[in-house]
Amino acid sequence: MTTRTTFSVLLLGAGLLLAGRTVVAHHAFGAEFDPNAPIRLQGKIVRLEWVNPHTWIHIETIKDGKPEIWMIEGGTPNTLLRRGVTRETVKVGTEIIVDGYQTKDHSLKRANGRDVTFTDGRKLFLGSSGTGAPKDGRDSTEPPAPKKPGGK
Amino acid sequence: MITRRVVRELSVAVLTAVAVAAGFWSTTPATGQAARAARMADGKPNLNGIWQALNTANYDVLSHNAKAALAFRPGPVVPVPAAPLLALGAVGAVPGGVGIVEGDEIPYLPEAAKKQKANQDDWLNLDPEIKCYLPGVPRANYLPHPFQILHSDKAIFFAYEFAGAVRNIYLKDPGEAPVDSWMGQSVGKWEGDTLVVTVTGMNDQTWFDRAGNHHTEQMKVVERYTPQGPDHLWYEATIEDPGTFSRPWKIRMPLYRHINPNARLNQFKCVEFVEELLYGKFRKTPVQ
Amino acid sequence: MTFTVHRSSLRIVAGAIAAAGLASLGVATLVGQQPPAGVAKPWTMPRTADGKPDLQGTWSNATITPLERPQSVSNLVLSEAEAARLEKTTSDRVERLNQDSDPNRPAPPQGGDGSTGAAGNVGGYNNFWLDPGERVAVVDGQFRSSLIVDPPDGRVPATTPEARARGQARLKMMAGRGQYDHPEFRPLAERCLLSFGPTTPLIPNYFYNNNLQIVQTPDNVMILMEMVHDARIVRIGGTHAPKNIRPWLGDSIGHWEGDTLVVETTNFPLQQPFRGAAENLKVTERFRRVDATTINYRFTVEDPTTFTRPFTGEIPFRATDELIYEYACHEGNYALSNVLSGARNEEKRLGTKK
Repeated sequence: MTTRTTFSVLLLGAGLLLAGRTVVAHHAFGAEFDPNAPIRLQGKIVRLEWVNPHTWIHIETIKDGKPEIWMIEGGTPNTLLRRGVTRETVKVGTEIIVDGYQTKDHSLKRANGRDVTFTDGRKLFLGSSGTGAPKDGRDSTEPPAPKKPGGK
Repeated sequence: MITRRVVRELSVAVLTAVAVAAGFWSTTPATGQAARAARMADGKPNLNGIWQALNTANYDVLSHNAKAALAFRPGPVVPVPAAPLLALGAVGAVPGGVGIVEGDEIPYLPEAAKKQKANQDDWLNLDPEIKCYLPGVPRANYLPHPFQILHSDKAIFFAYEFAGAVRNIYLKDPGEAPVDSWMGQSVGKWEGDTLVVTVTGMNDQTWFDRAGNHHTEQMKVVERYTPQGPDHLWYEATIEDPGTFSRPWKIRMPLYRHINPNARLNQFKCVEFVEELLYGKFRKTPVQ
Repeated sequence: MTFTVHRSSLRIVAGAIAAAGLASLGVATLVGQQPPAGVAKPWTMPRTADGKPDLQGTWSNATITPLERPQSVSNLVLSEAEAARLEKTTSDRVERLNQDSDPNRPAPPQGGDGSTGAAGNVGGYNNFWLDPGERVAVVDGQFRSSLIVDPPDGRVPATTPEARARGQARLKMMAGRGQYDHPEFRPLAERCLLSFGPTTPLIPNYFYNNNLQIVQTPDNVMILMEMVHDARIVRIGGTHAPKNIRPWLGDSIGHWEGDTLVVETTNFPLQQPFRGAAENLKVTERFRRVDATTINYRFTVEDPTTFTRPFTGEIPFRATDELIYEYACHEGNYALSNVLSGARNEEKRLGTKK
């Protein structure tokens, strides 16, 4: 993890070649989360809010023997829906690891999901790499669009 | 609390009389009397236009008397408008109206009936319309704001003035919605001259009206839009939700075309209008 | 009076990502004009019942080609090899970011992870939430290094002294006030009033949900942007609304010039400047369907009180059979209250509350 490149690299011009794994949109993350309150959480998902502008993953962690509910901020669910994710894809009860920073309002148990993985380190979801690209006729071997779950 | 119950009982008595006298519930709409509705090249009715309901269903889908306000507090004699509404005077009063529900009754399950009462009693805090949340279906169709139907041979699309809500009516069923949403997923088909739209995948956050009528995410709404002459649509919707109601029930009303040649959908992006309400408390210096 | 501060920051970041990718090509080479490979099929213009070209359907304007050309790249047109390299870089990056993490990773560093810009020293979220586009924009068979085609340097023209004075006045107005003091100081996107990045013209946001639906009737053309479920209804043959009517997306009227739909938009709201232009901004868009899966979209931005000259860009809209999903932003906008209450909480902790 020490080799992680950061967002600043993008701005300095190394760009896509060296881009960090984390970026943002909708709002400036620095406005919402406190760099002086880093956290690492491990717990079971108790609720998933598939809402815009940000998905919120609610997890139950144990601190000093007591359960705590933390809300983890993700991104727009729409991108995942187009990759076939549904509310059934990630089950309540799934255990995950999150690293991020707590909201500047420390009375809230909320944090950004800087990296959200299963307990073995696999990413909770996978990014798009070619599938689902619009049809532009440039690739004659282009596979048909991925089948939507629940389709008739 | 006593006064509130008295008001409620009085209302029920009066409204029963109104409903019987009007004979509303046995009436079926007359069709084809005036000029014929416009048609598309494929022979289907042409639904293009700006439409609006002209009724008081957004206050209460059931028959209701005019009253002083949407929220009350106890008064020395009769309930008086809740403090936050007092300054509105007659502007904050509620016009009476004949309900849009067939039979004038919503078949709530017992727990759901309690929830409606609780919703109504805490209307100021709970009505999603106050917060400018997307209105859901069917409420979007009888909000006191128009909506525009864009209808082509390939697509039917509803654009609502309120909150800029939109619905694309899929003419080919894409399958079950992957997650719930505010406006749900609409799938349409034609039955003769009637556009039948089945709406599923709505979340449990929207209401039917300012009276706290509600539903769960299990709700299915089947809407029927039938032209009645060039400037009217007859709208019916059957509502099914085993989590809330003991049986399906139905609403119905005419929708009127805006016939002013300059008519257009205006903008009512109310998100901005509710910022003080929702975020005012977080200001560096709250407005006193 | 409302203010817009830092609205452009996300756009700049987005542009930087794409631009930086291009910059890595170094000196641009000479142009290859090869049309993209693909199966040529006979194609006739699809038309609506009233004989107009049929623009309807769902389209994506996502691309890795930035709005403005990096200064180190001189040509508008890239060779096929250059385009392929950029696209490979993009897909390699996605693959890399899909790799497993260390399950024993600690919390990120105290004091921040060093990220800057919109990620503000706290990182953002996983790449899998994003869908910024994977292809170089292809227009008329050319791989493009920028969406802007005119001026020839592919960049937004310089602003006028008048525009800079307006910018200074805005800054002055903000002097002594903090960007987290009031919701009105937050960016429009954070307030869920509009998407980030321009909405008219239809420039991609380089992050996600760059999808459009077009529905066309004889009297109206409706353009729905997935982002913030914004539907712009273009009145065909209409006249503009009075100057005091200023909808968020502007007021759009259209007409057909042969087989091209021309849309003119004015009446932009003052609190929604596009690179500082609002009051006198005019955007002219030209939609031309060129094959079964492509609309060539050309936009011209004019405002003599803001830009020293007009500028024009071209973007391919590509047909997609993906669905557009509801982007109900305001309803779930925990972020805005987190930002504002976070600022209050921090002031208390640091004792800066007046």
